[in-house]
Amino acid sequence: MNAATAVGATLLLMLGGAWLVAVFDRIAAALVARRPVGSLWLGPLQSGASLLVSRTNQTEHPDALNWALAPALYLVLAFVGVALVPFSTSGALVDIPAGIVLWGAVESLTVVAVFLHGWSANALFPLLGAYRYVAVGLPIMLVSMFVLIAAALPAQSLALGAIVQSQAGLWNVVRQPLGLPLFLLLGLSLTLRGPFNYADSADLAGGTDAERSGPPRAVWQWARLSMAVSFSAMAATVFLGGPLGPAWGTAELGPLWLTLKTAVVLALLVAASHLLARMPPSRMLTLLWTVLLPLSFVGLVAAGIEAAP
Amino acid sequence: MNDLISGIDIAFWALAAIAVLSGWRVFATDSMVRASFLLLLSFMAVAGIMLLLAAPYIGVATIFMMAVEMMVMAVFMVMFMMNPAGLNPMSMVHQQPLAIGAGVVAFIGLSAAVLTSPLPDQPVAADHRAIHALGIEMLGDSMLIFESAGVALLSAMIGSVILSSRSGRFGPADPGSRPPGLCEGGLPAGSVPDENKNHGMGHGMQHDTPNAAPQDTHGAHGAQGS
Repeated sequence: MNAATAVGATLLLMLGGAWLVAVFDRIAAALVARRPVGSLWLGPLQSGASLLVSRTNQTEHPDALNWALAPALYLVLAFVGVALVPFSTSGALVDIPAGIVLWGAVESLTVVAVFLHGWSANALFPLLGAYRYVAVGLPIMLVSMFVLIAAALPAQSLALGAIVQSQAGLWNVVRQPLGLPLFLLLGLSLTLRGPFNYADSADLAGGTDAERSGPPRAVWQWARLSMAVSFSAMAATVFLGGPLGPAWGTAELGPLWLTLKTAVVLALLVAASHLLARMPPSRMLTLLWTVLLPLSFVGLVAAGIEAAP
Repeated sequence: MNDLISGIDIAFWALAAIAVLSGWRVFATDSMVRASFLLLLSFMAVAGIMLLLAAPYIGVATIFMMAVEMMVMAVFMVMFMMNPAGLNPMSMVHQQPLAIGAGVVAFIGLSAAVLTSPLPDQPVAADHRAIHALGIEMLGDSMLIFESAGVALLSAMIGSVILSSRSGRFGPADPGSRPPGLCEGGLPAGSVPDENKNHGMGHGMQHDTPNAAPQDTHGAHGAQGS
């Protein structure tokens, strides 16, 4: 597979995946509320199109640069994340020896992007959303760091290709049962969803997105959906064996397996965002620092003992 | 290879220019949040130079760590300074003679270190496991240094939390964090926490009237409420 095909396939996956997340969201919302689904397949596209033709607005004295660039930064981070994912056993678009650390950088820069989105608006609700998100987004990132280091231990490498190869016998989701559930919570935080949506939630009238309208709002929402695809592809790579398939398949089927696994993680992510309970930020912080962070550390110690020669 | 200017040269000079310019803007901007993220931009440009030098782990880890650190720094600065949400313009330079002196000394020292130390000029072999070697070094011979630095940073963090919390070991922090009055000797905007007469919840309007006698108003109101 040459580079142009790989770039094209990645773009297709990101666009199709973002649309799929929006469809999943509508199904989940309809199931939870026990109401008819409505316009399922075209609905997300219609919502996006109506945003694209509506006017943009301006707040009073925003930080113009960050106000303009924050949605683009969020979107770019989603694409950087998916570029790291090895779609076949031969490699990824960006194949570097410290791939999983670069994914960590994507996570931390996402917190920066969401903060700047809320802070630069110079308005009350976006600002509250920004500070609230940082307070919860940083500790959940620590949890994901422990989880990812644990996943890198059996591979004895920080390269995502090596982490995929280390799952040839047993997927990490079985070997490290704490990993995927904790990583899914990080996914909720990265994509501003469900109980971890402290940035853009309805209790702040939209939070960092409250003052947005028009095309920039469409880009921001698209970036959230794209980040969900990027996160799911990464979770499928690290915990579900990535492009590895059953023994009867051939290596050429790798991208197909990865796409299917990504769709499964997407469905789990959407279900978690609609089913898990919301908490006030202070209780969420207590849960994070006293339960989830020690739990991830226990998982890391167990993975270390298991991987020790 | 004998080209006058290669793509890597252009990338190096562009990243170096971004690093220096954004580093300068850190001290020219008037906002704590902008200063933090301009510093992050400067560090990210340096991390890009690390990537050009074929040090992928150090480059990527710099981006990762600095993004977290600058985010935490912005939040902590806003917490410590009396600047609501970091939105008010304020000068980012202070103690200038001392700072200029320290800057000149650091610049001379670092330049001397670069110019006098033997810089490596051998390309690293393609199959060399640089990240593995770095890990062995950090948790082998250099472990004491890194662990000492880690413990020192941790104690600094705990110290800053103690200093910023309201009921630290030096007593309540409210007097130090109370904003200035709206008029000379008057009350600040918003409600004032009052430990003795805890009836102030929801009666913040009373305190916003600068001309009213604060204690009498509050006492009457408290009696009314109880």
